[in-house]
Amino acid sequence: MIIILKNYIYKPICDKISSKPTKRNFVDKLDKKALRRESIIQTALQLFSNNGFHKTTIPDIANSLGMSVGNLYNYFKSKDVLAKEIIKYTSNILGEEIKAINLQNISTKEKIKAIVTIYFRMAKEKPEMIEYFLRVYLSHREVFKDGCEGMTCVSGFMTEIMILFDEGVQNKELRDQDFFSAFGLFMGYLGGMVFLNGEDILPKDLQEYIDDISNNIYKALSV
Amino acid sequence: MSKVKLIWLSSISCNGNAHSFLNYPQLEEFLDNFEFVYHPIIESDYSLCDVVHQDLECDILLIEGAISPEFKKCDEPIINTINRYAHIAKKIVTVGTCATFGGMFKHSGYRYTTGLHFVEDKPSFLFKSLESKTVSISGCPIHPEVLVQTLYAIKDDLSLHLDKFLRPKEFFAYTVHNGCVRNEYFEYKVDNHNFGAKEGCMFYDHGCQAPYTTGSCNKILWNEVNSKTRNGEPCHGCMDASFPRFDFFTTKKNMGIPQHLPLGVGKRTYLTLAGVTKAFKIQRFEEDMFSYSLNK
Amino acid sequence: MKKIEFIEKIEGEAKLHFSFQNNKIDFVQIEFFNTRNIENILKNKSPLDALVINPRVCGICNHAHLIATVKALEDTIDDIEISQKAKILREVTLNLEIIQNHFKWFYLTILPLMGLKQDVLKAMKPSQLVAKAIATLAGQYPHNSYAIVGGVVCDPTFIEIVKLRNYINDILKFFEQNMVQADAIEMLNCTNSQKLFAQNGDLPYILSKLVDSDMLTVGKSYDRFIVFGENSYFKRGKSIKTRVSKTIDEKFIREFETPNSLAKSVQYKDSYYEVGPLSRAMLNKTPLIKDMHRRYGDAMISRIVARVCEIPQLLNHTLYLVNHIDLTQPSYIKPCIDIQKHSGMGVGSVEAARGSLVHKVEISSGVIKDYHIITPTQWNLSNGSRDNLAIAQKAMVGLKDAKLAELVFKSFDVCSVCTTH
Repeated sequence: MIIILKNYIYKPICDKISSKPTKRNFVDKLDKKALRRESIIQTALQLFSNNGFHKTTIPDIANSLGMSVGNLYNYFKSKDVLAKEIIKYTSNILGEEIKAINLQNISTKEKIKAIVTIYFRMAKEKPEMIEYFLRVYLSHREVFKDGCEGMTCVSGFMTEIMILFDEGVQNKELRDQDFFSAFGLFMGYLGGMVFLNGEDILPKDLQEYIDDISNNIYKALSV
Repeated sequence: MSKVKLIWLSSISCNGNAHSFLNYPQLEEFLDNFEFVYHPIIESDYSLCDVVHQDLECDILLIEGAISPEFKKCDEPIINTINRYAHIAKKIVTVGTCATFGGMFKHSGYRYTTGLHFVEDKPSFLFKSLESKTVSISGCPIHPEVLVQTLYAIKDDLSLHLDKFLRPKEFFAYTVHNGCVRNEYFEYKVDNHNFGAKEGCMFYDHGCQAPYTTGSCNKILWNEVNSKTRNGEPCHGCMDASFPRFDFFTTKKNMGIPQHLPLGVGKRTYLTLAGVTKAFKIQRFEEDMFSYSLNK
Repeated sequence: MKKIEFIEKIEGEAKLHFSFQNNKIDFVQIEFFNTRNIENILKNKSPLDALVINPRVCGICNHAHLIATVKALEDTIDDIEISQKAKILREVTLNLEIIQNHFKWFYLTILPLMGLKQDVLKAMKPSQLVAKAIATLAGQYPHNSYAIVGGVVCDPTFIEIVKLRNYINDILKFFEQNMVQADAIEMLNCTNSQKLFAQNGDLPYILSKLVDSDMLTVGKSYDRFIVFGENSYFKRGKSIKTRVSKTIDEKFIREFETPNSLAKSVQYKDSYYEVGPLSRAMLNKTPLIKDMHRRYGDAMISRIVARVCEIPQLLNHTLYLVNHIDLTQPSYIKPCIDIQKHSGMGVGSVEAARGSLVHKVEISSGVIKDYHIITPTQWNLSNGSRDNLAIAQKAMVGLKDAKLAELVFKSFDVCSVCTTH
């Protein structure tokens, strides 16, 4: 008994020392998890876009990825949780793009055009992301009301728009007004254009509207 | 044991610091340890003109009020008197925001009006050589405990951690926001403050500068009993280099975003946190404090 | 013969330029020399900024400037509603400041002039209690702006009421144990001022010194009094000797510059008037002061007694106010008009420690266009000409001694920073 215990006491430590994960291995493991997580999200986005939010199930997503449903549940506890994580994810991606624009040393007018450009580019190259926002997030409030109250889950994106407006007012390019008046104009306009594009109503390619729309937005918000 | 000799010179001033100082609770004890060779209110053996025209003993020189080469006391430019005593004294203390940064009276119409070493947050070079022996106590007026405890520290040769404006961090590393009884409303971004109410935070709409002004007003209370913000008046930033900013009762916002954020907090951090907390409505903070019942 | 006396410790300094003829002062000019141009700082600022700027006129009567400012601003709005509770709270804190001024003046300014040592601790014991009481309602003292257009910012409960009562009673006790060792209220209702001289206490001691030095008739002026700041205690009006007339109007106040001094002189309908505790007592017809005046006229001794006796009067009245505040009323009623977009003119008159303080403001599209501050010391210490002396000048002319003139001068309780603002 004592011998066994002795072995038991010492062995794990020895094992630990010899097979101690190196820093690189540890980081790799994390990276792998993150990548897997991201691929679940991207797959879900595609499926939601093709088949609709309600018709797509967790097993559908797991199948598409070749992973077990149980394993998928390790990453996202439920479909609702997945839905909320997706909105945070898409908001952060868009937020990072806008942050990069905000940090540039250009005028607010130029920043607006740059934002319209990436938004429309994203609508063209990754339509499932913008579509998710319009067709899932805005249209299924019951899914998001617990855990995504107010602007909580879109804060990555909201913060950058606030900073854009704040700096625009500070450098006297934009008129000071209620934030939501300006926000509604900006995002409602862009969302509306993307929606129309998604319905195949626009006669021209979405990219050809960038100049007009940027000008309209700037004119409406400027001093 | 001989008392520490103080000379209190008033430059362009309202005398508010002199009166605030007199509110120090243990004044008797203080006067047992310190002696005013000259003070604008307390009598001594010397008149103001004696101070100006002679070289009296002075261990610590206290300067109140903004300074200008055009301003005279006893027909002598104040800068000459300051200069003379600054070299006699072992330490100099600027008493109040005017003497430290120029304050309210940098607008009084005299030319080149500044504080002793700073005008707002920029250096003023007239007395640069005296910087190493100066301690600044800002405030409009100064808090008596802050001044007196600093004088004791100087007397007993205790080390002070001075900030870039030469103010003791022991008092000025805090923000006025620390200790305000309205903190919960700030924490949860409840921005429906009305004057005359116990509830509400005044940062969002009513110009409270406490989150970005350094001072100990809510740590050491005023007159040992209260503070402006506890009482429902927004902090006007009187201890800050920028005082007076004017437009005191309004919060400057750019499309709803406060122009001045809490000290050291970046814009993205603030907006993200604000975005999260604003999403939630907490019943207790929306109601009148006395109406709230745990058992509802 | 000319003599210049440099006066200090009057919240700043001043110079008295005496002209002697036959060993008597036959003329004196009062010179104030440091201004801070506050009326200029106010220009083009938001009206509410005046609530923060104006207390900085003075370190000892900052609260009076605050209340005068808020009243002047509110006067620009027709039909503005201020709750009775807010009005009472403002009166309470203002009374407390007046009380603190009088204590300081007696123990810090008067004692040394009577050959005694200044008593800083006796001045500050009641004054610190006063400061605590004010801070309980106003956040801090000195320099708060707790009165804003529409009311006050505080929201007191019974806690504050109890505290205030205790502070006031403590201060009253101090008065009765030190200044006049007698029941304060009995004393004020007493119609025989000689009884005051017979008491023990710091005030009767000073009075006895004045009696011994034969100074009972020193410091008489025109016997002309005026009070602008009406409230629940002070009555507004003017009194020429004892003849009271209630109708006065701030529009007849005229400020004018005089050479050699940065302080402006003030007249009401082309005459100089005295302001201060004696004036207020004359308008109120306080029994004790009425008797002092009957015996000594408006001599310095009457001024001294009037000032000291205002302490128990105000303590008593403030206690009454504190006990009758209806806390259920709102502290602040948001005005229908936003003063930051408003245009108009307003006048605010209050009684500060030294006398009537009048603020006149003109705002235009939410910005201060013009602002005038007329302080009590300006009234009393105006610079008149030889054939039309102002109040303090008249009180000093005829005296043999510059030192005695300084006592008469300081018996008006001079505030240099206020006067030049």
